[in-house]
Amino acid sequence: MSAREEILARVRAGVGKEDAAGRRITAESWLAARHCGPQPVIGSSLVERFRSKAESLASTVATVVDLAAVPAAVAEFLALNQLGTTAVLTPECAAGDWAAAGLTVSARSAVDADLVGISGCFCAIAETGTLLLLSGENSPASVSLLPETHIALVPVGRIVATMEAAFALLRAERGTLPRAVNFVSGPSRTGDIEQTIVLGAHGPCRVHLILIGDIA
Amino acid sequence: MNAAAKHSQAMHFHARAGEKVRNPALQRALQKARPLFVGKRQKGLASLAEDGLDFTNLRSTAENIRNRVLADLDVWLELFEERATASGAEVMWARDGDEVARLVVEIAQKHGVRKVTKSKSMLSEEARLNEALSAAGIRPVETDLGEYIVQLAGEPPSHIIAPAVHKSIGEVEALFAEEHGRPQQARTSADIPAMAREAREVLRQHFLSADMGISGANFLIAETGSAALVTNEGNGRMVTTLPRVHVVVTGIEKLLPTLEDFATLMRLLPRSATGQSISNYVSLLTGTRARDVGALTPGPSPAGRGEMGAPLHDGQVPEGPEKTVFILVDNGRANLLGSAYQDMLRCIRCGACMNHCPVYFSLGGHAYGWVYPGPMGSVLTPLYTGIENALDLPHASTGCGHCADVCPVGIPLPSLMHRLKEEQLARGLRPWSERLALRVWAWVAGRPRLYRWLTRRVARYLDWLADGTGRIRIFGLAPAWTAERDLPVAAGKTFHELYAAQKRK
Repeated sequence: MSAREEILARVRAGVGKEDAAGRRITAESWLAARHCGPQPVIGSSLVERFRSKAESLASTVATVVDLAAVPAAVAEFLALNQLGTTAVLTPECAAGDWAAAGLTVSARSAVDADLVGISGCFCAIAETGTLLLLSGENSPASVSLLPETHIALVPVGRIVATMEAAFALLRAERGTLPRAVNFVSGPSRTGDIEQTIVLGAHGPCRVHLILIGDIA
Repeated sequence: MNAAAKHSQAMHFHARAGEKVRNPALQRALQKARPLFVGKRQKGLASLAEDGLDFTNLRSTAENIRNRVLADLDVWLELFEERATASGAEVMWARDGDEVARLVVEIAQKHGVRKVTKSKSMLSEEARLNEALSAAGIRPVETDLGEYIVQLAGEPPSHIIAPAVHKSIGEVEALFAEEHGRPQQARTSADIPAMAREAREVLRQHFLSADMGISGANFLIAETGSAALVTNEGNGRMVTTLPRVHVVVTGIEKLLPTLEDFATLMRLLPRSATGQSISNYVSLLTGTRARDVGALTPGPSPAGRGEMGAPLHDGQVPEGPEKTVFILVDNGRANLLGSAYQDMLRCIRCGACMNHCPVYFSLGGHAYGWVYPGPMGSVLTPLYTGIENALDLPHASTGCGHCADVCPVGIPLPSLMHRLKEEQLARGLRPWSERLALRVWAWVAGRPRLYRWLTRRVARYLDWLADGTGRIRIFGLAPAWTAERDLPVAAGKTFHELYAAQKRK
């Protein structure tokens, strides 16, 4: 008997039920129903909540009124932190006028030598101050992972309340999952040496969020 | 003897416990960590309350989700397998740890793998995977900082989420100096960022040069055929993004039905483990890189769909593995289904039970002798390696019940330990003296007049020994017990006498 058959036989014996077909229909209807558990009620505005949670996770946040203002905001952040003028960005972000802001950008996957990575996001989650990034040819995951500094562009209209709301949006707009759905909440961290928290474990040491849009 | 029991040291718990209690460096590390662990979870729970969420309510929802999966695990496993396969991954099954090791080595050899980077996986400890890979000439590199430290030390992790909690900064420094080929330096806690930086740089080169990544899975999602991975360091993302091959090694019980169920569990797992409302990186990994080829801009770009999307440069290789394999592992799990211990399969490996356990913080994780320490280990080790091979563990409890209070999926850990003790007795696995004592007690307890007479004598005797102080310094009948502490005694009256006196009033 194969390992699969043997394990499933053991599981069936443990479960101790007949009618696999009927139980399968019940399971599939549970999948279709997508019941949600208790969710927080986000009292303040989604943008405010997202911003305060992101800052509490050691991200920095800037705001711009529209997309055209993004390259200048990025340049300002890089200059302020002495991070140079070169960046790798996800192809989804390539269309901005980066040269006008004095930045040299290349749209591709990141490599080890890249110090600054700029990405968009699929959406953002107010509850926890989290970015939701989808892998794809136009949004390679390495850009938010390998460089020491990750700058993410977050249109305020893409901020949703909870992880459940993000999944609903994902189903509505995409239908299927890409290879990687990455929820990113601030710079990487470790507490493995004497329980002391250090920012910048393997991923970025610095996460800067640029909120785009009309922020009341 | 089952495969898992071969390498268990759980039978030496008693001897090891003595060593650990007398190890001052270990005791310092544990006493430093304990209040931090407890405080972090408290903060995590406070953040739930701030959002108007009730822990008890959330816990019962999570408990129901886990019970739903276990009640029809055969169906959920088949659903997961179908969907994972349809999404482009391969699904394999392993009966025990040895089979896991054999499958992983075979996959590595088939793909010409010479170096493997690993994200933390306790199941790979069950399988002694690193040993098997090394024996096959494949280099396994642990990339979670704590796992990296214990790998350098040639030790197993001593905690399921803080593997190097038993190591002092000085010990870490000695390991780094040797591995990284530099002189050893005097280090204080101010140097911890520099040490983490050093490990980052060394491990970055391993990430970039590995041919295969091995991860566990915090959960498997049946709906989408995905593995969910929760990390803070980002190593989980690295090992599942950069190498050509990704192998997920995980237990058959880790399933969740839907993404919504996952969202519920994610409100509990990080808070229970580290007190965070969410871990830095949470990834859902599905199929292979082929899923991303030809896909349009994933959802609206900052400007909305289409406005900003530019095609990739020619020749750009999409990221992610070419090959993804899930290895679904039994290793004793299926036997718990339908048994008195089924509740244990709800466990989501948060570590809260050990973080609140007085026994764990007296001994550290290594005393437990197998992969899992603390209360969950005291239940799992006997169940996975054989009750007769871990006789002391169910007794490694003060009966305080804190582990059950903090468990985010409501596992009645003290009752499960109690049941294991009963089973030891039923199977004649307790020492003859204990069995005899229990038999004598049962005989006496069945004779009320004799029982009252005897307990009266005992109460008077203890009172006489205490000599009015309320405590006994040295108790000849249990010298080990009073070697470290006094035995408190009641007021020289039996319960029956006190009860009768109370009634007369």
